[in-house]
Amino acid sequence: MSATMANDSANNSANNGAMAKRAIISVRNLVKHFPIEAGFLRRQVGVVKAVDGVSFDLNERETLALVGESGCGKTTTSRCVIQALKPTAGQVLFQMDGAPAVDLTQLGKKELKAARRNIRMIYQDPYSSLNPRMNLLQIIGEPLVINRAVKGRSELQDRVAELLRMVRLDPSAMNRYPHAFSGGQRQRIAIARALALSPKVVIADEAVSALDVSVQAQILNLLKELQRELGLTYLFVAHNLAVVKYEADRVAVMYAGKIVEIAETEALYLQPMHPYTEALISAAPNPDPDTKNRPRITLSGDVADVGNLPSGCAFHPRCQYAQERCRQETPMLAQVGGADGPARFSACHFAEQLELVGIAARVEEARHG
Amino acid sequence: MSNTLQAGALPPTRTPTLSADTLLSVRNLQTHFFSREGAVKAVDGVSFDIKPGEILGIAGESGCGKSVTSQSIMRILPKNGKIVGGEILFNHANQTIDLATTEPEGRLMRAIRGKEIAMIFQEPMTAFSPVYTIGNQIIETIRIHQPVSKGEAREQAIEMLHRVGMPNPGRNIDQYTFNLSGGMRQRAMVALALSCRPKLLIADEPTTAVDVTIQAQILKLLREIQADLGMAIIMITHDLGVIAELTERVMIMYLGKEVEYGTVADLFHRPQHPYTRGLLASIPKMEPGRVAINPIEGSVPSPYAMPAGCKFHPRCPDFIAGVCERHDPPLTEIAPGHQVSCYLYGGWEVQP
Repeated sequence: MSATMANDSANNSANNGAMAKRAIISVRNLVKHFPIEAGFLRRQVGVVKAVDGVSFDLNERETLALVGESGCGKTTTSRCVIQALKPTAGQVLFQMDGAPAVDLTQLGKKELKAARRNIRMIYQDPYSSLNPRMNLLQIIGEPLVINRAVKGRSELQDRVAELLRMVRLDPSAMNRYPHAFSGGQRQRIAIARALALSPKVVIADEAVSALDVSVQAQILNLLKELQRELGLTYLFVAHNLAVVKYEADRVAVMYAGKIVEIAETEALYLQPMHPYTEALISAAPNPDPDTKNRPRITLSGDVADVGNLPSGCAFHPRCQYAQERCRQETPMLAQVGGADGPARFSACHFAEQLELVGIAARVEEARHG
Repeated sequence: MSNTLQAGALPPTRTPTLSADTLLSVRNLQTHFFSREGAVKAVDGVSFDIKPGEILGIAGESGCGKSVTSQSIMRILPKNGKIVGGEILFNHANQTIDLATTEPEGRLMRAIRGKEIAMIFQEPMTAFSPVYTIGNQIIETIRIHQPVSKGEAREQAIEMLHRVGMPNPGRNIDQYTFNLSGGMRQRAMVALALSCRPKLLIADEPTTAVDVTIQAQILKLLREIQADLGMAIIMITHDLGVIAELTERVMIMYLGKEVEYGTVADLFHRPQHPYTRGLLASIPKMEPGRVAINPIEGSVPSPYAMPAGCKFHPRCPDFIAGVCERHDPPLTEIAPGHQVSCYLYGGWEVQP
């Protein structure tokens, strides 16, 4: 399964036919299980399948979004990519240009530290991710010092000043502490720290979720500008579908530890190929009162419990199209449609038969009654 | 209350009478917070009316005073918060009373809070105690406000849990909050708030902490319950999507001030205040094609360093030098039912 996928995405020349895409990170059959322990002896009584067989390619200079509701495994996946969590099984292949691919899950401490210079993270809450007792020079300079990337204090100051300018902050603020900055400015500081070692890949875990809308827009645009300027690759973990639509080139929708659909952003939103994607798009509130009375799909019940998954397709208890086969047989992520467009994948037995509704139909319906 | 005099906003008169077609009237409300660093004008002269059965949205970013406005109405402000001016008029037992001057812990306020005006919160655990069953807490609320027996109250509670879509009300009533999922807790909180059939429900960011599919369930529930029971709702949120989906009229706030007020159609299709326009241009939209977003410059200032004049002027793209940084624009009606506080729409020529 994963092999086909790798071949398909390698062969597919996507929107801009000229440039073939090269995967910088290839995740293969990633599994992360957490034990459920109970009783005095902490005996293992079950397992939480937080991530259960996830495969995707992160292509150079693209933004791939991992989207889904709480508990879907999007954050766990991103943590396993950077090896902040040790995966139970699977591979995370990392390939810099020219160099042979390395499997991050197999690396020793020292090699991992070197690889991590190229994969950095930005977190959701800039109030807890920055040490309040360090000034900006220490916060942003720390990765440079630890990795011995600069010689001497003046070189460090120059690099930090450059990084501050990069995130549109005044370099003279270098000696100030995080409390003097607003939420949006703190997130800029966190970005500057992530970029200190000139990484190739940045993993943004809900990086704009805690910000006010006007500031969120600034950070979204800043991330896009930095991507263009520095040739960055983003793995963008988020739950807000509108934000993902704006920021991502491709989207992977996750449900109960699995990718249920992965496609180019525009294609996914216009024509979803998995009932869960359709429901997510339908449920997202739209800031246009004209679409207020649109027909909506309201999913009943809650997100599937990854400690106690339903049989067959994990989504079947909430799926309005579910049939007997869905209760028994777990669908695999397989290529669907896409004869004319770029390859896309869906994990639904009936992906090809169902006529699901995306954003185009929704706007159309609302406008014409 | 001598504070009214001090604020200089309204002459000390007897409480005016509210007409029957107005449920609640907030007039020039001023709520300040006092701390060692100084006073913060969290709500600084806000006025609005709600008719019975109407859904009003209050939207704005953090620090705009939207939650403090609701806490002022409920009289559940933190200890260092005080209503220093204005009126909150509400009809209770055939008489108009001013909630702003009512004793927060007094008999009258306790008869209104939870019975006539109820509230739901972002975090259901704010409303529930973890050590009693949800039924226990709903029954208690019903029996405080209504002369019914325990059995009758229990029946009412089960009926309300059924109405908010709990899967098994007869069993759910004896469960604790930790037995319930996030979405179910949210429903139980709605049942608690509605248990005494309030005339007004204040919803303070009830969908912010839940997943999008649960959010859709809660919005649907609020729409159904509103149509069913006919109560008025004040929906407080930062999410303009939620405003567009649920409300009829909207008030946009910025740093304690009301910047624009109108119908949802006015606000989304004919926004006038530069802040409202900026907010709308800042949100990514789920529309086909690449839709650009244009953020508002800068960030919300610290409450201890509020700008003079119009609070929005340092971030405003249409700032009029010599006017906006000196004078505070009054709320002006620019079309029937559509009000804006901005000098772009006149009013500054007559300023001293």
